[in-house]
Amino acid sequence: MAKPIPKIGSRKNARSGSRKHLRKIPKGIIHVQASFNNTIVTVTDVRGRVISWSSAGTCGFKGTRRGTPFAAQTAAGNAIRTVADQGMQRAEVMIKGPGLGRDAALRAIRRSGILLNFIRDVTPMPHNGCRSPKKRRV
Amino acid sequence: MTTHLLHLPLIPPPSPSPWRRHHHTSAATTTITPPRTGWVQLQSQLGKAVIGSTRRSIRCMANPRRVKMVAKQIQRELSDMLLTDKVLQFAVLPEASLGADRYLSSLTTITDVQVSADLQVVKVYVSVFGDERGKEVAIAGLKSNAKYVRSELGKRIKLRLTPEVRFMEDESFERGSRVIAILDKIKNEKGSEGQTKEQLDSSAQEDDDDSWGGEDPDEGIIYVE
Repeated sequence: MAKPIPKIGSRKNARSGSRKHLRKIPKGIIHVQASFNNTIVTVTDVRGRVISWSSAGTCGFKGTRRGTPFAAQTAAGNAIRTVADQGMQRAEVMIKGPGLGRDAALRAIRRSGILLNFIRDVTPMPHNGCRSPKKRRV
Repeated sequence: MTTHLLHLPLIPPPSPSPWRRHHHTSAATTTITPPRTGWVQLQSQLGKAVIGSTRRSIRCMANPRRVKMVAKQIQRELSDMLLTDKVLQFAVLPEASLGADRYLSSLTTITDVQVSADLQVVKVYVSVFGDERGKEVAIAGLKSNAKYVRSELGKRIKLRLTPEVRFMEDESFERGSRVIAILDKIKNEKGSEGQTKEQLDSSAQEDDDDSWGGEDPDEGIIYVE
């Protein structure tokens, strides 16, 4: 991967330190991993460094309620609230996995006022690689 | 097992909202009435007057728990099909199928699956995120490929009889989103002064390539579908 050009700015080093991210990021990427039992929303910058994350489980839902769309919506709201203060206006959304969280989190992001540039689906697709688990019998 | 048929609603209930999912009763909420002769025969068994002919026997009514399991499994398989199957993806999103690195204009999700008690009919509720045209295209594409979906489902799930698949549009997500947006707007209008001042203060102090100075002051811009 080519290294991106470091931004012109006084206090930004290219090293990813352990200090808090105080910089303003107008554009970021929101990753939504929506499985059937849970939804995880991660907000990163364009290079992929995580700014904040939230999931249905951390929002206080437990068990089967984590998979519901309402939980996904609260998780997305939580994740964005931290970031909206830092001034993010545009975002790109990457969605992974099946699950109800896809739709609900997208709608929550839309509602929060952040402009959506692109919506991408990045569900991992093997080019016929590993053997998948056996079929559930019903 | 036969008693739960008595609770069959004669009027189909409104389209289900997954928001209320965990409040569903365990009785099978079928939206399809079983064949008339079977229903009548059941009534006759319970001592009521026999109305019609009794030539057709009742099909096997499954255990409600099994019905739920089948519904869940069908939902998993259909979601997986939407993600992996080329035919379905092209039906739902005709444009960016092969080229554009999965940049989507609309996103289709299967929100709910309802199976009839005899596992013959499956109603699939689909929610589409995107504009009007994308929604119509997606639903039309799914409906025209219902037979293909049924055959694929038969290959993936081993059932005695593969159920008939019907796609319906689920508007509950949009409605809920709209309502919440309106509620948020009202809430923001009430307490908006303190909030916006705080955010305007934290505007960019460092030099950035960007021209925007800080957070958009008018927080009332809600993108209502």
